[in-house]
Order: sequence, then C-alpha cells, then structure tokens
Amino acid sequence: MKRIFTISGLVLLCFLFINAAAAQNTAVKGTVTDAATGETLIGVSVSVKGTTTGTQTDVNGAFTITAAANATLTFSYLGYATQDVPVNNQSVLTVKLAPSAKQLDQVVVIGYGTQRKADNTGSVASVKGADISKQASQNALSSLQGKVAGVNIINSGAPGASPQVTIRGLGTIGGSSTPLYVVDGVWYDDISFLNTADIDNVSVLKDASSTAIYGIRGANGVMVITTKRGTKGKPVINYNGYVGWQKATNLVKMANATEYATAINELYQYNGITPVLFSDPASFGTGTDWYGQILRNAFTTNHEISLSGGSKDNVYNVSFGYLDQDGLVKTNNYQRYTAHVSDDWTVIKPLKIGFTVSALSSESKDINGGIFHELYGAAPTLPVFYKDGAYGDPNDYHTGDGNNYNPQATLDFFNQKSRNKRFTGNVYGELTFLKNFKFKTSYGGDIGQAEVRNYTPVYHATTAQQSTTSSFDVQHTETRNWIWENTLTYNKTIGDHKITGLVGMTAQDYTTYYAHGFAKDVPYVANGSLTGSFPASATGYLQPVTPSQQPHIRDLSYFGRINYSYQDKYLLNASIRQDGSSPYYGTNGKNVFGYFPSVGAGWVISNESFMKDQHLFDELKLRGSWGKVGNRNVPINLSNLVVTSDPSYLTAVFGNPQVPYLGASINTVVPPLTVWENAESVDAGLEGAFLNNRLSFEADYYNRVTENAIFAIPIPASVGTGGSSIVGNQAKIKNRGAEFIVTWKDKPSTNFSYSVSANLGINTNTVTSVESGKNPIYSGGNGIANGALATRTVVGEPIGEFYGYKVQGIFQQNQTTGAQPTAKAGDFQYVDEDKNGVIDSRDRVVLGNPNPKYNYGINTSFTYKQFDLSVDMQGVAGVDIYNANIAYRYGNENFTQDFYDHRWHGAGTSNTYPSVNVGSNANAAPNSFYVESGAYFRVRNAQLGYTFPNSGLKRLGIQKLRIFANAQNALNLFGYKGFNPEVGGDILGRGLDANVYPLYATYNFGVNLTL
Amino acid sequence: MKKYLKSAAGISILAALVLAQSCKKSFLDVTAKGTVASAQFWKTEADATSAVDAMYANLHEWTNIAFAPIAVESMGSDDVEKGSTPTDASFMNDFHFFTANSGEGQISDFWSGEYKTINFANQILDNVPGINMDGALKSRYLAEAKFIRAYAYFRLVRAFGDVPLRLHVPKTAAEYNIPRSPKAQVWAAIETDLNDAASVLPQSYSAADVGHVTKGAALALHAKAALYQKKWGDVITYTNTVMGLGYTLFPNYEQLFRTTNKNNSESIFEIQCMLIPNNPGASNSQYSQVQGVRGVTGGGWGFNVPSADLAAAYEAGDPRRDATIIFRGETTPEGDAIPADGDNPMYNQKSYVPFSLYVSGFNEGCQQNKIVLRYADVLLMNAEANNESGNAAAALASLELVRARARGGNNAILPKITTTDQAALRAAIYNERRVELAMEFDRYFDVIRQGRGAEVFGSRGWKANKNEVWPIPQNEIDLSAGTLTQNTGY
Repeated sequence: MKRIFTISGLVLLCFLFINAAAAQNTAVKGTVTDAATGETLIGVSVSVKGTTTGTQTDVNGAFTITAAANATLTFSYLGYATQDVPVNNQSVLTVKLAPSAKQLDQVVVIGYGTQRKADNTGSVASVKGADISKQASQNALSSLQGKVAGVNIINSGAPGASPQVTIRGLGTIGGSSTPLYVVDGVWYDDISFLNTADIDNVSVLKDASSTAIYGIRGANGVMVITTKRGTKGKPVINYNGYVGWQKATNLVKMANATEYATAINELYQYNGITPVLFSDPASFGTGTDWYGQILRNAFTTNHEISLSGGSKDNVYNVSFGYLDQDGLVKTNNYQRYTAHVSDDWTVIKPLKIGFTVSALSSESKDINGGIFHELYGAAPTLPVFYKDGAYGDPNDYHTGDGNNYNPQATLDFFNQKSRNKRFTGNVYGELTFLKNFKFKTSYGGDIGQAEVRNYTPVYHATTAQQSTTSSFDVQHTETRNWIWENTLTYNKTIGDHKITGLVGMTAQDYTTYYAHGFAKDVPYVANGSLTGSFPASATGYLQPVTPSQQPHIRDLSYFGRINYSYQDKYLLNASIRQDGSSPYYGTNGKNVFGYFPSVGAGWVISNESFMKDQHLFDELKLRGSWGKVGNRNVPINLSNLVVTSDPSYLTAVFGNPQVPYLGASINTVVPPLTVWENAESVDAGLEGAFLNNRLSFEADYYNRVTENAIFAIPIPASVGTGGSSIVGNQAKIKNRGAEFIVTWKDKPSTNFSYSVSANLGINTNTVTSVESGKNPIYSGGNGIANGALATRTVVGEPIGEFYGYKVQGIFQQNQTTGAQPTAKAGDFQYVDEDKNGVIDSRDRVVLGNPNPKYNYGINTSFTYKQFDLSVDMQGVAGVDIYNANIAYRYGNENFTQDFYDHRWHGAGTSNTYPSVNVGSNANAAPNSFYVESGAYFRVRNAQLGYTFPNSGLKRLGIQKLRIFANAQNALNLFGYKGFNPEVGGDILGRGLDANVYPLYATYNFGVNLTL
Repeated sequence: MKKYLKSAAGISILAALVLAQSCKKSFLDVTAKGTVASAQFWKTEADATSAVDAMYANLHEWTNIAFAPIAVESMGSDDVEKGSTPTDASFMNDFHFFTANSGEGQISDFWSGEYKTINFANQILDNVPGINMDGALKSRYLAEAKFIRAYAYFRLVRAFGDVPLRLHVPKTAAEYNIPRSPKAQVWAAIETDLNDAASVLPQSYSAADVGHVTKGAALALHAKAALYQKKWGDVITYTNTVMGLGYTLFPNYEQLFRTTNKNNSESIFEIQCMLIPNNPGASNSQYSQVQGVRGVTGGGWGFNVPSADLAAAYEAGDPRRDATIIFRGETTPEGDAIPADGDNPMYNQKSYVPFSLYVSGFNEGCQQNKIVLRYADVLLMNAEANNESGNAAAALASLELVRARARGGNNAILPKITTTDQAALRAAIYNERRVELAMEFDRYFDVIRQGRGAEVFGSRGWKANKNEVWPIPQNEIDLSAGTLTQNTGY
C-alpha cells in the first residue's frame, strides 16, 4: 500500500523532477540544527549545487540525498543564512545554520503562511511582539502607532476603547474602514481581548497582492497576528509587571467663576435681556474647578506570568494576565483577567495537532459618558456642595439647559457595571505527507458575552438629578462566531526553482443575540444592587426583547495561491479567492460570489551576477503587484427592504381605556441592486541595504481605487424616510500615496548598539466619481454643528471636506443693511464669495481636509552595557480639525479660557473671535473660525531599562532580570485648541471634534523576570 | 497508521470541499435576526393593521409634536414667547423675531416630520389595496390614511406654500427628487383626500377603537382647508354638517384639557398618548414636557409660554384666561403649587399634566393627548365664514355657543355679542378665536390668512411678501441640486 501510494505520488509529481543521478553517486545523510539554540530545523531545503536534485529535512531535522562524493550541498531555510557544505566523501553531515542578519532573509508572516522577505512581492510590515508589549498600552493597536508606515491610528482616549485604524487612507464610505485581524487563523474585527504580552508578531499586509487571499475582507488591509507558542526545552517562567499612573495632560483651561459670570451677563446683554443673570460677577471669585473636582491621577497595576517549554513532541505556552486600571474620572475602574494557552503536539511524525485558547474576563465600574460634556459646560459659579452638605443645584442659579447638572451628583448617583467574558481560539490538525504536502484543518470559535447592569436608586440631588422610583436595567449581548478553514500546501525546491502552492476553503458564521430587561421599584441591596436577578418584589418585569436588527452573517470562500522563485532572483506570486457572503445573497443571482485575483512580481537585483563585484548594495530588490480585494463590512441587507417595528417609535395608542399597539411599517428606501465593493490596487516597491546591512530602506508607491463603493447618499427628507440616505454602489474613490522607511542599525562596540528607524506615509484621497454626479454630498455635523451639515464630498475632492463660510472679521457694530443685515455687533462677518451682496448658502467654500496627508514615526533604541533606552516619536501633519465644541452650546455653558480672553466684547476688542453669542445660529453655522490644524508631534513612548548582570543572578536561579521606567505621551506638541488632536469619527464626519475626553500621559515602573 | 492517515487526509479534504460546495447556496441564505423582510409584509389584515398603527404612532414623535411644531406653528404668534431661561434654545427666538433662515434645524425637522407622516400614509395607500382582507376594514384603513396624509399636507402648505406633492411611495432615484407643486395643487389634493375620507369613515367607533379618525374629523379639517382658501361657502357646508353630527361643547373649559377627559364630547380629533407602564421608551410624547413648568418635579422645560399680550387679550373676568395660563405662584385647580420664583411668569396650561401623575424615568406629561380639532373650532370657523358671507345671524349664533360655554353660567361676564356690522363682528370673531384657541397652534397662521401679519407681528419684524411662509430647508435644496427653489425673501 505504502509503496503504491508513494509511487503514485511520484508519478503525479514527476513533471517536477529531473533526475540527475549519476553512477558514482552515494547517499548522504545528516541533520540540520540551529547554530544558536541547537534545535533541529524542519523543512530545510537541501540541494546538490549545480543540479536540480533536492530534498527537505524531516521533522527530526534529518535528510537523505543522493550526491556525488565531491559535490557541494546547499542548505537554505527561512530566516537563516544559506550555507554551502562540500560532501568531501562523507556519508553523514551535521550542519548548523546561523540566523541571517540580512533583512531580506527575515521571515514574514503572510496570509496562510510564512515567506522569506526576499521572496515577498507585496508590501508587508512586521512588528515584533516585544516592541508591542514594551509599551504601556492595554490594546496592541495603540502600540502600533508610529511603527508602521501608512498605518494611521487614532486613540479614542476612553478606557477599554479600541483605537480607530486606517491603512493607506479611507477607501470606503458606507462600509467599515477597519482592517481584518487574523489571530492564529481566526478572524476578528477587533482584538481588544488580546493581552499585548501574548503577541509574538504582527504582520501588516498593506497591498492588494498580500491581502487578496482574504478576498472580501481584504480591502482595508489585514493584520496577521501570531501569539506566543512554546519552544522545546526546560520550562521557562516569565514574569512581567508594572505599576504606574495616568495623568490628564494638555487639559483645556476653562474660564473661572468671575469670568464665567461676566461672559453670561454679556450673553444676556447681546440678546437684549434685562436684568442680567449675575448682579456681581466678582463675588464668585474663581469658583469651582470642575476638572480638578472630578479628575484624578489614575493608578494602574499590571501583572503577567507565563510558563512555556516542551519536549520534542509537545510544546506549550500558558500565560495569565491581570490588569487593574483606574479611570481618569473618580470611581471609574477597569479590571481584566486574561489567560492564553497554546499547545502543539506532534502525535506521530507527520501529524501535528494543537490548539490556542484565549479567555478574557473583565469588569468595569462605569461612569456616565455624558460627564465630560457636563464638566466642559459646568458653571464654575456652582458650588459642588452647599455649606449644609447638599449638592449645589444649578436650578438655584437659573443657568438653564445644557448646564442643569451638578457633575459631582452625576458621578455619585451613576451606578453601572459592565462585564465582558470572551472565550476564543482554535484547534487544528496538520498533516505532512509525500514530503512536500501539508494539509491543515483549523476550527476556530469566538464566544463573547457582554452584560451591562445599571441601577438607579431613589434619590434627590438637584432639581434635574433625582429619581422618585428605583429601577434596574440589564442588557445582555452574546456573540457566537465560528470559522472553519482547510488548506493544502505544496512546497518544493528543485534546483533553481522554488515553488509553493496553496489551495483552501473557509466557512464562517457570525451571530449576535441581544436581550434587555428592565424593572422598577427594585429595592437597594448590597453591592449597588448590581448582582443577582430581578427580585420578585419588583413591580415591573422584563421588557420584551427589542426586535432591532441583529446581524447573522455567513461567508463561504475558496482560494488558491502560487509562489514561484527562480534562482532567488525572479519572483512571481499569484492568488485568487472566490467569496460568497450572505449580505449579498439573493440580491442578484449573478453577484452571490465575488472573485478577487492578484499577481506580484519581484526582481532581487543584488542576487544578479553583475552585482557580485559591487560593494555598495548588500541587498537590492524591486517589486510590484496588482490585486483586487473586497469589503464585506458594509451595512447588511442593503437591497432588502426591512419592516420597522421599533416600540420606542411605533407604539400607537387607541381605545377608552387606552391600550398601546405596536405598529410596523416600512420607512426606508433601498437601492434596487448591490454588488461587491471592490478595491483594485497597484503597488511598486524598492528595498535595499547598504554598508554591511547597517543602513536599509524600503520605499513604496501605491494607487488604490475603490469601485462600486457602497455609499450612503443623503436623499431629500421629502421621500419620507426621516431625512436619511440611500445606500448603494455609488462612488469611486482613489487613495494614492507613498511610504518610506529608513533604518540605521549599528553595533560600534560590544557594549554599545543602537538603531534608528524613521517612517513616513503620504496619502491623498480623492473621490473620482459619485452617483450623485456633480451634486455634492453634504453630511457630518448636524447636532454638533447646530443643525447644519459641516462636510461636503464631491467629485475631484477628498472624502468629507469641511465646508462652510469663510470668516473675514467680526462686526464691530450692529448691522441693518449690507450682506448680513440682521448681524449684531460681535457676530462673524462672512466673505461674500459670489459677490451678490447677500450671505447665503452659495457663499460656502471648502474649509479644510480631515484626511491626514502625512503620518510619520521615528523609533529609536540604544543599548549600552546593561542599560537600554528606546524612544518612539510619532506625528501627523497636513490634516484639519473642526473644533465643534466652541459653538456646540444650548445656553449658558462655560467658555474656554482662550475664548474668554480673546472674545469680542465691545467695538475694537477683537476682529477674530466673536462675542459670547457664539452659539447663536448665525455664528454657529460651519465656518472657517472652527477649522484648525490637526498636526501634532508627540513622544509616544520612552523607556529606560536596566538588565542586571548574569553572574550574580545565576546562583539565584534567575536567567534574566530587568527593571524599567516608561513614559507614554509624555510630550505632546500641537496648536489645536481642543483636548486632543486625534479625532476620529464617522467616515463622512471625520475630524468633527465634539470630544471632551482629555488626553493623558502614562508613567510606569516595571520589572521583567525570567526563571 | 501512517497510510490510514494519508487516506484520511485525502478523504477529509475531499469531504470538506464537496460538503461545502454542495450546501453553498443554502449556507449563505440567512437573514438578520429580529427583522421581517418586506417580501413577507403587506400580506395579511394584521399587516395592514400594524401599518395603520405605525402611522398613528408617528404622530406623537418629537418632530411632529414637540420642538418643530412649537417653532414653526407657534413661535411666530403674539400669544407666546420662547420661555425657559433666556439663552436656552435661543434658536426659538429666531422664529419669534422672524430671523430664522433656511438653515434652522427646526425647519428641517418640521419638514421631515411631516413627510414621514406622508410616507406612512402612502405606504398604506399603495400596499393595502392588494391585501386580501375584510373589505369594509380595508376601505376604512385607506380612508384613515387619506385623512392623515391630508393633515400632513395641510400643515406643510400653510407653513411653506408650494411643496413637493407625493401621493405614492417613491420607487426610483428619479422619484426621490421632485419639484415643488403650486400650493393650489396641494390644496386640491388635500380636499380630494378629505372628500374620500369623509365618504367612508364612520361617525364614531367602539370603545376599543377610540382615537381613529372619524367622518367628523375629515369634515372639520376640510372646513379648515376651505377656511385657509377663503372658500366661505365650503366652510359653511362642512361646518354645518359637523354641527349635525352630535358634538357638544364640554361644559368645563379648564377640564376639557385634562387627561381625565380625553376624547370627550367636544373632541373631534386628538393625537392619542399614554404612559405605558414599564415602557418609558414607547411613552415617547414630549408635547407636555417641553412646555411644562420649569424647576419642579413633574413639570418640564418651560418653552412656548403665554405672552403678556395674550394675558391682556381676554375680556374682564373671562375664566379661559386662568384655564389657559399657569401663573407663577398660583396653585392649579389640581392642587399643584407653582413656585413664585420660577424662570418664567407664565406657562401653557392646556398642555399641563398634574405633577402627581409624573413617573420617574418617563417624559413628564407623556400621557397628555394633543387636541388637533375640537367642536369650538368648528363653531368659530362657521361663525367666521357666515360673517364673511353676510349671514350675521348665523355667525352670531355659532359665536354665542362658544361664549356661553366660556361663561360657565356666570352671566356677569362675556356679554352676548349682538353687532351685525360685518367689520365689528369680524373683529369680535377674530378675538374670540384667539382666546378660545390660544396655545393650540393655530393663532400664527390664522393671523396670516386673515391678512393681518404685518399689523399684528410687524413690530417683531414680520414682513409682508416674505413671512407668510417659512423658508424651505437649505439641506433639502442642497440635496435637490436646484430642483427645489427657495421662498421669496429667504
């Protein structure tokens, strides 16, 4: 049986073999090991130099090859320097391969496999786990900021929130711009469950030839993440821990009580109201510093312990993590427990099975998200407490809406906990057969539960903050996803030809379940009544489940890829994926499946013979690629009209006595047909290294065109759908740019080594066509821009530019004639662009671009004797922000110190800042005053470490002991007048800043211990 | 072992591919949970009923019942002031002082709110005819939808003049963007709908269906539509018909507006609202809340407050003054003491719900119905049209019915009006209409249709040939790429 199978296999593959065996040939046996660790190396290519005869080492690192007694064998392996070994009449060879210092010899993780960087034809960047866990971020994505050219990361600031990640510009409008995250083969939209210490490597796939293998999920780029696995050897215990604190930084200073009272009195005067609100502003002094009252230095503790090791057949890695992080707002706290277990077991030689499991359990004591706006607006004239201990009540001061809460009472009577539990991972089996074939099946699952419990007690703090009944609210969301993947890989080196083939299939299912319970008159018990179930004494019981749309998505895909290289000089990669996805199912029989091809080619110039004698370049490679990818993360059921039955909107009342009836109807319109949103892109890159590999560079040019972009075009409100939009394939978007990386690494002496790496990404975003034709799409703002739309998207311009009036000055006198006949003194004077003597909507112009043009990072590291220092800097430039907070007012909110100091308050006082009447309709209309530069530069992370000398530690059984101090965001330079120049937001409303969450710096002290 | 593994691998690969391939189509055929695809809707009588319920539910949603109507239908009037604290929601003053421009959020809210109502009605009118269901009920549902559509167009045409006229659900992109129809066409469509509705709708309903529109409502709204067009003969015809349907004035004017007297003998059409126990989300009417007394638990935000001008408009001793206005420092008939140091001197009593009915977690006063049409309005329309047509006697008779009820048996007040001089009687009817229907969202447009805009509102900036209508929302004009035009003067 075995023989037949082998023979048939050989017959099958015979076209790949050219038998060059000669009469005097003998069998040469041997093993190949890592020169540094002594570990056996599996799958090393062994070939007889100058012939096409070749083989690979088996799972024990052993090989047998037939070669002439005077032949030379070439050993090559991913990540190791290729080595030539003469046979010299020996029949047994022991070969030790040394890891390669060459950049192009390094291994990069790509979709469904690994590759030598030298063989890769796409644009792929790798970040090592150590560089991620070094930072004090709780989310791995935050740690990537400034590390990878072309990757823009915007941290939201709120604890536990994931940052917004955009790779190579916005290529979608109606869909999600989030990249796909593939963790050990399982697909995620978010990786907040991962403890950064468990990450081994992050590979960022940027161009279409790298991402096309992920088909419909590849359009926004892919991050392939591998987590730590065990290595053979004695058990090794690692402990990493730190303590530290977060501190609000670059806080926006607010006006004090006297200034506030003065400003509000001015507001009354401008509105012709007498008497003014405060008869004696000076009597309030400086008043309450609300930020000082509510914020604090927030302490953080983090512990992480791992155990790894293994035998020849079984390697394991187990880790546990614990994080206890206080929020900047008092009472806010987040606790997280994580566990990560992986095991790889070689059952018998060709069969390996294994699993990876990550578990997370977190609990947070929440704060009312609205408190930041309360702090921003809170009147400094309001005392936190009166002398008798009662809460200061805004109603007693008649400061009105937008300002009728005492933030301290908001904090004290908000009682909510969120719990998250997540269990995710995969099991796999991998079978190697016929030497060159590997079949892998992997089943991954992701089960998550999120529960939010909120209890409102009976209380009376202020007029607007009180409750006469208690209530208990529980929301429960459960996600259950699974993915099943099967791949078959073929790997073969025949002389100068290296070939890798891959075919596979994937099936996926994503479901979400949601339940909501609400009960009244729930008695207060210990622990804030946030545990347990609904008590029988509660008079009200569970509300019905809200029948809102909860996604259920399935994907089914087939894919294949070939990588070929000739003499390590000429490279060719090609792949294709066929995808089916349920959101598109049934909309059109023809479009159920999408096809996503790619090709890439490379030329390793430095391996050419004519380059042999030059000494300038150690490495030089030119590469180019083309590919097509899709974006499935678009609103689901686009072409299926859905019946609306939202009880909070559609409950009708009839009868005597009255009875509620839940209505249902259609109040949307849909496009007749939707097809795949596709992104087609080309990428050209040049990589090289000089000066003994000390200086290396990589440059890329790319052009990505998103076609059939699924896009919401606002439709007239008279359609009757509530002024909404119609979503469909309606736009074409181009992102064009370049990326540069330059790295200098050197080790001038045995005591000193250092590296400096700089990266720059340049991107321009243009809408090249849109279904609405020349008719622009106005969007963004609305609520935060006082009902107006603050962005415009039109053919030939970037997505979502700020759009509004251009301010030419401030009126010093009330107007009765002219272009703004109703303007008051202190109002903005706008430019009459069309020169028709009237200021109206036709005078609006482009005010700024929220899409950053430049993203850059500078990463440095220095090692001197036992000390190590790394400093990472990062910034963006060529970006604008719309500071919506200034005019986002309902009435008597406080003003910033900057605004107060510069405001117009009488003829001649200012020709740039308006009066305190800034929230009025005429002044709050989107205009150039609110658009500021969003450029910033920051020292993202700085870490100084000291590693204790080995000699003393050995006796204590310690392999390594290092202590460090770390500072994150310690220095932030920007001119923006808001809290934080990192502004995310909806795609058509990006850069509209109504955020009031302060930027914070983090300082940590920690220890790394290896036993 | 090894060989089995090899075979097993091969078989499992094959199996995986074959299995996946064979169930490919059915594997992908899933719909989102909690949704009903439209293909399964419009099939049964229950679907028709749900759609009718949805249409009514939409009437007490924010843009249809709260801020937008206050801004567009009330703020311009001399009966009201903005209220609340001076700088709170100061955009309301742009409507009071006629500085509102086309970018005002309340204008676009009002516009989109009315067109949402029209869409719910059009959905029924386009789809219910094809449902196999009880014929009589089907006709009634269609008639109800026509009434609701006419009501929405009535509110649009008096606020904006020419508006896009949609009588079907738009299906294609070309149908989304349509121009404004001349207001004569809009009025004609309203009248056609109301004729159709009146011919089908019943005069009353069984207890369980109270709140659905009636024949009386269709006729009364038709009379009002005719009134705005000065078709005096039609006003007389339709009001006379309503006057023969058995409506009577509710004896106690103050009690007419309390939650205990919903759908009383005077009521012709009310938007039905209630506090649904344990369901604050569905109890979404903010009609009473936005106008409620500020600074007290169970009160509200204190917008749209009565003006001093209104308080002075009542004849001496008219009990309607106290029934319409809550004065700072008073105690209401329901026993609520109003703080003497509140933010505003007066609040709207017609939207008032006693504070004791407030339930924490719910909108204050969410149980208050909003009266759209009542019998006193019909009588005053009848009086006005008869006077304009030279029938002073008939006008006086209708007028006296309204005053007699207001008198409440106290003959020392509100003397019977006897003048037959057309101009004097017109002035009397105008003032009667003002005080009887104060704070009921008609005064502003009444003054305009009476041609007295500049005379009554001029001091606040109202200008003839501009302020008869509000501007078309700028967002809507932007989206139409020039298909929609702006009103003169904006």
